[in-house]
Amino acid sequence: MTAPVLELRNLVQRFPTPDGRSVHAVNDVSLALRPGEILGLVGESGSGKSTIGMIATRLLDATAGQVLFEGRDITHLPERELRGLRARLQIVFQDPWSALNPRMTIRRSLQEPFLLHSDLRGATRERAVEATADLVHLPRASLDRYPHELSGGQLQRVCIARAIALRPKLIVLDEPTSSLDLSVRAGILQLLEELRRELGVAMLFISHDLETLELVSDRIVVLYLGRIVEQAPTRQLFAAPTHPYTQALLSATLPPDPDAPLARHVLSGEIPSPLDLPPGCFFAGRCPIALPACREGPPPAHQRGPGHVATCIRVPDGSSALPA
Amino acid sequence: MSAHIAPHSLPVTARPPRSALLLGIARRSPTFAAGLLIVLAFALAAILAPWLAPHDPVQSFPDKVLLPPQSDFPLGTDGNGMDLASRLIFGSRYAFAILLPVGLLSLAVGLPLGLLAGYRGGWVDEVLMRAADVLRAFPTIILALAVVAAAGPSLINVVIVVGLLDSPIFMRLVRAEVLALRRAPFVVAARAQGCSTARIILVHILPNAILGATAQLPIRMAWAVRISATLAFIGVGIQAPAPEWGAMIRQGAEYVISGEWWVATFPGFTLILLVIGLNLLGDGVQDLLDPRRRASGK
Amino acid sequence: MSLLEVRDLRVHFESRDLYNQRRVASALNGVTFALDKGEILGLVGESGAGKSLTTLALLGLLRPPARIVGGSARFDGQELVGMPPAALNRIRGTELTMVVQSPRTSLDPLARIGDQLVRMQRRRGPVDKAEAMRRAQAMLEEVGIPDAARRLQAWPHQLSGGMAQRVLMALALVNRPRLLIADEPTTGLDVTVQAQVLDTLRALVQGRGMAALMITHDLGVIAHYCTRVAVMFAGTIVEQGTVTEVFRNPAHPYTRALLASTPRRIAQSGYRITGGAPPNLYALPTGCPYQDRCPQRAAICATPPPAAEAGGSHRAWCHFAVPRPETVDA
Repeated sequence: MTAPVLELRNLVQRFPTPDGRSVHAVNDVSLALRPGEILGLVGESGSGKSTIGMIATRLLDATAGQVLFEGRDITHLPERELRGLRARLQIVFQDPWSALNPRMTIRRSLQEPFLLHSDLRGATRERAVEATADLVHLPRASLDRYPHELSGGQLQRVCIARAIALRPKLIVLDEPTSSLDLSVRAGILQLLEELRRELGVAMLFISHDLETLELVSDRIVVLYLGRIVEQAPTRQLFAAPTHPYTQALLSATLPPDPDAPLARHVLSGEIPSPLDLPPGCFFAGRCPIALPACREGPPPAHQRGPGHVATCIRVPDGSSALPA
Repeated sequence: MSAHIAPHSLPVTARPPRSALLLGIARRSPTFAAGLLIVLAFALAAILAPWLAPHDPVQSFPDKVLLPPQSDFPLGTDGNGMDLASRLIFGSRYAFAILLPVGLLSLAVGLPLGLLAGYRGGWVDEVLMRAADVLRAFPTIILALAVVAAAGPSLINVVIVVGLLDSPIFMRLVRAEVLALRRAPFVVAARAQGCSTARIILVHILPNAILGATAQLPIRMAWAVRISATLAFIGVGIQAPAPEWGAMIRQGAEYVISGEWWVATFPGFTLILLVIGLNLLGDGVQDLLDPRRRASGK
Repeated sequence: MSLLEVRDLRVHFESRDLYNQRRVASALNGVTFALDKGEILGLVGESGAGKSLTTLALLGLLRPPARIVGGSARFDGQELVGMPPAALNRIRGTELTMVVQSPRTSLDPLARIGDQLVRMQRRRGPVDKAEAMRRAQAMLEEVGIPDAARRLQAWPHQLSGGMAQRVLMALALVNRPRLLIADEPTTGLDVTVQAQVLDTLRALVQGRGMAALMITHDLGVIAHYCTRVAVMFAGTIVEQGTVTEVFRNPAHPYTRALLASTPRRIAQSGYRITGGAPPNLYALPTGCPYQDRCPQRAAICATPPPAAEAGGSHRAWCHFAVPRPETVDA
């Protein structure tokens, strides 16, 4: 097996609140990405998925844990040394309208990576900028526009172009399609698939939308309140969702077809506050099949198949399936 | 309100000529146009003073003291027998000699400090902001008076004191913009790209933070003109017989009671006109920069 | 007569650029639809298509530079367009209410939940405080808030997102309105919470014989919670009908493109780029507004498309919309 391009070990992130408590945003998360792999990170608000993306790109320092990029521990690498490495470790944000400097033309924004990390100058650099624009199917005419003159879909293409300009090994995509219209989303997803095929870049695709991840990712990690509850190859996760939360999440997704049957597990109960997490399984309070033991200690991780792990006490005896 | 219009491209071919842009701006913001006109008129007066003024501003006609407005002396003469009109025209040179360097100095000091305070935050921000508070807590006029009295009443001293006293305004403005921009996704993206801190501040934050300060500049310049006139009026600023408006008002104030109203009134109105012009200009710039104000269709 | 009848509603944005040239964005270009009791009508379309604008126009909440330039909207026989603000104010919040997205910013942060519900009831006229509180508690229970008696005393910041959204719904429903407008009511909510809120909404609409107009970009929500759907593009409705009619047998090319761009459908059929530049509302083409992006474009598209009947109440405004008896694909 090849060495992972990114490895996160036992990440913990706490944010202090003004009244002296702390928000437990990420609670002991470990995961690894192989070169060229698209890993989906799914979770609802408060699951810590964006925080993990920020930590992975060292835009945020973790409270505890390690970040390994290309086998090298970069957890405490000083910003100055990090800069050189950033050419190979990129991030794309959710909202393309605010992710580009409003006073720079698109061309100028796309020159930035080459100015920072390459010796390309003059006409050679312009060719590189235009080649990058071509790669994301951005019309050349839009290069000399300002961000406010382009549509959201085009702007997200610019952001992706900026990220792939220097052929990174890993791109973190933080909800890259969530703020775009449905019809524009498809084009962006198609582009990402193309880039993975042509450039072999690995992607950590953060999303709240399982359907999007089903389409693009090779493997999916499901987060709940900053803890991994299940991870599996995409097909496996959809065929045999094991953790009760994954099952509830899958069943809550409404297929855009009025004739599709809904096998819904409507959850009741409140989501615990990340300021005050319970000692046992975080999902126990909403879980229809929780046992008294679930509330006592952290649930153990159980292997369910190759690469398929679910963190639920009921996995070994096969009783983790939610009643229909 | 969530109703918005999708972005679209302006047709590149149909861009009207520059003169149309100027005319358009004037119609869009008459405030801006009026302010610009007034300030430009004063600037012209300052530049062309030797040709416009009928007399030497400091030449005394001993036999023509305190004459009311007449053909030879269109605005009359003062207590030294000097031509008021010429003194007012040359006085605009003093006004610009104050407002331009004061504006540049306060911006030059306030802008970098605001960038630093906003971007670094923490104790740097705390120290700088408290220092600014202390500076602004003093009654400006008394502080200026004290410093100028101690250092000597020259133009340079007035410029330095007034410029430094006003720099906290720009510092605050820029700091507030930087605070908002620091967390803007495009600034985080610049960091993720591998930009150095200096580059983030200079290339990505500064051009976006400077607009608000620019709009404020004419208004602060108006303030500088007023404060320097006040200093001259109290007698610690630029000294007579230099044709400075504040000093002229001070001299003329004595004659208001005895009936020679023109000596103080004309410099007073001139001063007010320039201050209004600068304020209109500042408001107009804000009008034009703020797309929300621009959109409200009238 | 339908509860709400919107006919040929037109809204313009008028502004001036730096050259002082007058610019007019045709944001709504003749929106026509009707809504009956017991129905939930879903409005769908890309951003800028005019979904939110339609509801703001109905509620008299447009602010300059937006302005209604034509059309009519009759609510229970009363004309809303041009109604004096005082009269409109009496209807708004009582007969005709709205739930917006971002529940956190839509609640008064300085008033307890119970007091906000009482205040809302006073819009109808004087009420006894104790009686109003009882009704408030009953309303909270009806929208599925557990422990309603205690929640009456809660402050907005103490509520979770899903809870706040339900409180907003309670506020919108406490006066027993006849029409509820919901603008992306579940956008800020997690999917596992979304179902609870939508179930509540549907049960109330059906149980009370009211009607709802729901704006959403989520086709799944439309498919499972709406009775009818209207697809908007560039300020016009390009197709409308019952949810089953439109989803099974989309007749307008834009609707087909929209339905084909969900991840599941892409996975089945492979990628087809369906998006395109958003329409320029400052210079819409004459005739069909979708022609610049339409794969079926022909010369005839430069003339206004007719309302093609596609069976039942199903209409599509397209020259090529022919009724097809079979379902398109499974």
